[in-house]
Amino acid sequence: MPNAFDARNPPFDRLDAEEIDRLRAELDIGYFAPEQVIVAADSPAAFFHVVIKGAVEERIGTSVESVLGPKECFDARALLHAKPGSSFIAAEETLCYLIPRDLVIDLAQSNPAFGAFFYSEISRKLDAMARTKDAQGVDSVLRSRIGDARLQPAVFIDGSASIKTAGHRMQDAGTNSLFVRDGERVGVITGMNLAKAVVLGGMPLDAPIRDVCSFDVVSAAKDDFIFDALIVMTRNNKRRLAVTDGGEYVGMLEDIGILGLFAGNSQLIPGRIDRARAIADLASAAADIQSQVDHLHRQDVKVDVIAEITSDLNRRLFTRLFSMIAPDSIRDKGCLIIMGSEGRGEQTVRTDQDNGLLLSGPVPEADLARFRADFTEALERFGFPPCPGNVMVRNPQWSQPIDDFIRQLKTWVISPDEDSPMNLGIFVDAVGIGLNQELLTRAKSALFETLRGESAYLSHFARAIDLFPGSGGMLNAIMATVGREESIDIKKAGVFPIVHGIRTLAIERGIVETPTTRRIEALATEGILSQNFARELAGALRFFMEMRLRSQLRASRLGTVEGESLVKPSDLTTLERDLLRDALRVVKEFREFVRGHFNLRMF
Amino acid sequence: MLGWFRRKIDRLVIRDRSFKFLFDEDKSGEVVSLDCETTGFDPWVDDVISVAAIRIKGNRILTREAFRAVIRPEARMRVESMKVHRLLKSDVETGRSMEDVFPELLRFIGGRPILGYWIDFDMSMLDKYALQYLGIRLPNPRIEVSRLYYERKYTGAPQGTEIDLRFNAIRDDLKLPPINQHDAFEDALLAAEMYVILRDMKDRNIRIPRRRAAGAP
Repeated sequence: MPNAFDARNPPFDRLDAEEIDRLRAELDIGYFAPEQVIVAADSPAAFFHVVIKGAVEERIGTSVESVLGPKECFDARALLHAKPGSSFIAAEETLCYLIPRDLVIDLAQSNPAFGAFFYSEISRKLDAMARTKDAQGVDSVLRSRIGDARLQPAVFIDGSASIKTAGHRMQDAGTNSLFVRDGERVGVITGMNLAKAVVLGGMPLDAPIRDVCSFDVVSAAKDDFIFDALIVMTRNNKRRLAVTDGGEYVGMLEDIGILGLFAGNSQLIPGRIDRARAIADLASAAADIQSQVDHLHRQDVKVDVIAEITSDLNRRLFTRLFSMIAPDSIRDKGCLIIMGSEGRGEQTVRTDQDNGLLLSGPVPEADLARFRADFTEALERFGFPPCPGNVMVRNPQWSQPIDDFIRQLKTWVISPDEDSPMNLGIFVDAVGIGLNQELLTRAKSALFETLRGESAYLSHFARAIDLFPGSGGMLNAIMATVGREESIDIKKAGVFPIVHGIRTLAIERGIVETPTTRRIEALATEGILSQNFARELAGALRFFMEMRLRSQLRASRLGTVEGESLVKPSDLTTLERDLLRDALRVVKEFREFVRGHFNLRMF
Repeated sequence: MLGWFRRKIDRLVIRDRSFKFLFDEDKSGEVVSLDCETTGFDPWVDDVISVAAIRIKGNRILTREAFRAVIRPEARMRVESMKVHRLLKSDVETGRSMEDVFPELLRFIGGRPILGYWIDFDMSMLDKYALQYLGIRLPNPRIEVSRLYYERKYTGAPQGTEIDLRFNAIRDDLKLPPINQHDAFEDALLAAEMYVILRDMKDRNIRIPRRRAAGAP
């Protein structure tokens, strides 16, 4: 019954005190000399192992899949499921806690949170992990500052102004309350005060507002905590507070603003985009979209939901921008296309922009030139970094009449150059914005038509799945670094192979959906992927996106894009490292599937 | 030689014949890691206040079947030792008597070799009770874990090599996790962990690298 056994170490942190005691009472400790086989491949494991000291290699055949260090566990699969494909072999002098199999099975059955760790599917593990983190959100909100909430602007009006003037002032300022200056006094008037005065009090519209406003202002300081604000609001039965900063009124906090801190302010952004009158208004909405990402992530909102919210808002932003700056000729004939990760709805932190313009026919050259310049300038102002591959409206290749563009697509297929596969890949993920979305549908059908039966081309296209790690050997090298102090490029090792492989399969089947998870579902429906494998892929992708988002946010807090998709295993918890191993294993299996499917024999 | 002779004599003079198994040749192939916490460092004055023993079978440390006991001391408990072991006087007073515990401990250990860090001290404590109850000293072979470590690390070391055989130094060198020290069970467990590693290194004839002294070539 070693007390040194660390019960705070996942998954054991899900056990209650009694279960921990039971576990401790059943532990033995095993020593394994270097090269000694701890769990042999294809034989059931009698124990669940937790490394105390040393290092253990997980091998399939002769290739090292991963290296496990102190506090890491193996192997859930070997224990509860069919025989493991991997063997576990001591790489150094190694001590492990040995937890009897029957006890683990017992605990997994009686404690679902603990049991979740032993699920075979990464997607179910992720769900179980997310559930245990739920409670944190509320707490972090209560501890944020009033200044972090979206405040209504402080707009002042003189006490002698009429009810009618005040109403218009509110309308213009987009707020529901005004500060009233009346000599030395300052009061607050709300839309509800005005309505009541007129409707219920029968007052004329030209009555001065000093007669209807309240000079009894309830306020809180900008640096106070949200929970202070909640207390003040509750005590005074108010739905809004005046916010002060250094003795000055700087804004108004409404209860809905606090609500926004919980769910993010995403529900307010569409309204601001719709109300925008100038590029500058849109720029501030664009900045809000971006700060939402960090905010939602801190509230433990799942990454796929964050991506969905962000994409939806970005599309509204593009739509509004398009209608604001496109000349009539382009608005009538054009379809703006958003491509790449933005098109798939998978972009969270902005990394680049991939966009283009399809036109149903020729438009005046001057209109097109102006639109290209204005659009690019606006996006830069919104903080979208330019596309390194120059897949942007300002590139004439990506903004041309539909017939020319379709010819272009065919050229990419029939006589491809170096960039063609990348261009096609980006285009396949396009979604349309504006009136003429049938243009995009036409272009895509033409592309799918051209590719039908071009299995050689598709094989070539699929080949990019091995672009980053190069070969199987390199992949193993990356996997072997799990548990070691080396960074893993999540984008290259995880996100890209899944996204690209799925994209290739989707083209082959003529699937028009763009989000990777929808494509996966569609491929499963068509029987190309098994339901089980489809869930695994979606789960692995979600995990990689989550990891990537985390490192992106860290990078952006540090003000750099360097290493934005690198993850250091030592920064991860044991549970996350375990998930990373699982997710990389899914990628490996998927690469093999794609190679087999497209008959890629390259090694 | 003297030890062999004394064992022969002890075997004959043992008061309670039912403990003759102590002298049987051990056939289990197991080793017992043992640690006592005491009221002080003088075996003739001080008492054992807790004892733990863990069997090691091959490369398996059988913590599940470990022996642990808290003992009511006969000598008055010293304040310093209470500080060291964080055992309160009340804890110890709820313990069992040594008279009760000792036979159980001996049956647990049997004729197996006894392993520990500074094991001679623990053994001289236990010998005190063995003499009192059985009229003999414990005949079990002893394994000193610090000696195993010394052999792997310092044998043949040049003169002037700084030798560090502190329990914690060995622990750190073997990269074992820190424990709640001065708990008999945890100390016995740590010694057991050291033992399985060092014994295997010995079997494979592996040395523990010495860090070169500063300035050495």
